Amino acid sequence: MRTRRVNDVASLLEPGAAGWDAAGFEPVAMMPAPLAMQPTEYIRVKWEGREYGSDPGLKVASVHDGKRWVLCARWSGVSPSGIDFPDAIAVALPVRNDPPLILMGMDGAPIQYLRWQSNKPALRSIVATGIGHSENGPKMAAMSVKAHTNGEQWDVVMSRSLGGEGEVAPLLAGQKTKIGFAVWRGANEERGGIKAFSIDWIELALDA
Amino acid sequence: MSKRQVAMVMDLNKCIGCQTCTVACKTLWTRREGMEHMLWNTVNTQPGTGTPHHFEQMGGGFKDGKAQPGIRPTVEDFGKAWEFNHEEVFNGGKNDISLAADGGKYGKGPNWDEDQGDGQFPNSHYFYMPRICNHCTHPACLEACPRKAISKREEDGIVLIDEDRCKGYRFCQEACPYKKIYYNEQEGVSQKCIFCFPRIDEGVTTACSRQCPGRVRFVGYLDDPEGPIWKLVHKWKVALPLHSEYGTEPNVFYVPPLSPPKIDDEGNPTEEPRIPTEYLEYLFGDRVKEALETVRIEREKSKRGEESELMDLLIARKWLDMFGPFQNHPRDAARMRPIPANRQGFKNPLGGNDPFSSDEDMAALNGGAMGDSKPAGVSPIKFFTKDQYKNGGRS
Repeated sequence: MRTRRVNDVASLLEPGAAGWDAAGFEPVAMMPAPLAMQPTEYIRVKWEGREYGSDPGLKVASVHDGKRWVLCARWSGVSPSGIDFPDAIAVALPVRNDPPLILMGMDGAPIQYLRWQSNKPALRSIVATGIGHSENGPKMAAMSVKAHTNGEQWDVVMSRSLGGEGEVAPLLAGQKTKIGFAVWRGANEERGGIKAFSIDWIELALDA
Repeated sequence: MSKRQVAMVMDLNKCIGCQTCTVACKTLWTRREGMEHMLWNTVNTQPGTGTPHHFEQMGGGFKDGKAQPGIRPTVEDFGKAWEFNHEEVFNGGKNDISLAADGGKYGKGPNWDEDQGDGQFPNSHYFYMPRICNHCTHPACLEACPRKAISKREEDGIVLIDEDRCKGYRFCQEACPYKKIYYNEQEGVSQKCIFCFPRIDEGVTTACSRQCPGRVRFVGYLDDPEGPIWKLVHKWKVALPLHSEYGTEPNVFYVPPLSPPKIDDEGNPTEEPRIPTEYLEYLFGDRVKEALETVRIEREKSKRGEESELMDLLIARKWLDMFGPFQNHPRDAARMRPIPANRQGFKNPLGGNDPFSSDEDMAALNGGAMGDSKPAGVSPIKFFTKDQYKNGGRS
């Protein structure tokens, strides 16, 4: 997966911006987070034999301008409003020490997530060191999110600054890192570990 | 497993359904935004659908040790906090306006079938059953939570939700077979009865038990042979858990209600009790007959003028004896530390017209009924921050 360099990302902060069509969307294969890995017996019993985490047909594209990284995610499946759980997407980036994506990181190897959900206006930064072990993550400059739906498809554009220190996952021009995704379908009561996820890390190369 | 377990016994022979317990709890704990529909303490008419309505058909708990799937009660299932058109009725200047809940489109309230009961005259019957979180020994909510946001205090077994860890997934609501967990949509967290732990920490019994005019509720440790709980549950075996088949080992127990005899077609009393024993067995298990018989025998002894420890206990001649080691007056505890009233962010819609709007009045309210005659305002009341509240009410 490639993050293209552009002169200025400002024109791409809107989901419907014309520039996104030329940004090169790439498909992301997804599968349900395994039932056996759900952290409590109750959840495993409740969801046994029930469909969840179906492939939402996620496609993503990303750009940067040397200061700011912007990602656009498109996927199918828009839940009605007023239900118990929101539609949501999380973008995972390794902070350090090669964390396992499927375990949501581990002690000493955290993952930073950028999470958007349809009932909250702001982008959240979360740091996880394992399943069920996530906390509020560091706030970063230029964090923003905007979402649009045509009733069938979500278009979500999220951004953060380049760089990375402390618990901020590094995103540096001209360097490679890894990226992962999770999508929750609120209408199917998906929340927590009941989700579609991108199986393993995908290499992400940022143009110099 | 906690080292000790605090527990409650409710004597259903004495509950008059006045809801003072409900109001005491509501006033003290659930006045934040998003808590409007929450009644951590409820009192329902039995037989009846309970609160939330038909909670006994909503699943959860354990069967043969295995977690059982459940469903989440909706706000409507719990019973909405209705909004009434008081302003329109009293100050609207129209003669043809009637008082209406939610514009006349109200659904069910939390106690929709109050005093309905069951049976046909002359054998109609009902009794009142208060419920709080059971602070179970094997809490289904705790085990269901993927966030480890629910814990059981080691020192007394009180089950608490850490609102900072809770992400609002609501698996706990599904898993609790008693459906005593509420969801706060404003804050995105689950909330429930906390067994008044900041009071318990200061040796003060729960608000619901201290305020109860009927002397229904006993509080103490389950393993304290000097206390009322051990005597009623283990020694006399007259206090039984609700729906023990749910498998969570609840720590709230009930003395089942005796009832007058059923009347036959000729109008004569029979040997059968008016409240069907089968119904009480459905609620409290197959030890109901034994418990009722014990209470009946001891009552007869007492009638004959003989001594009965059980009757003395149940009558609660000495009110404070009902509360085991938790007999301190809340006002005295407040002198040492502020009482956590948990009113952060609470905006009183009645403003200065609320009879309990001032700190002094809140102090009087927290001080309790039951003959506490000292004047209000003797101790300063401070409202805790969320961190202080989480820390057991200590700053």
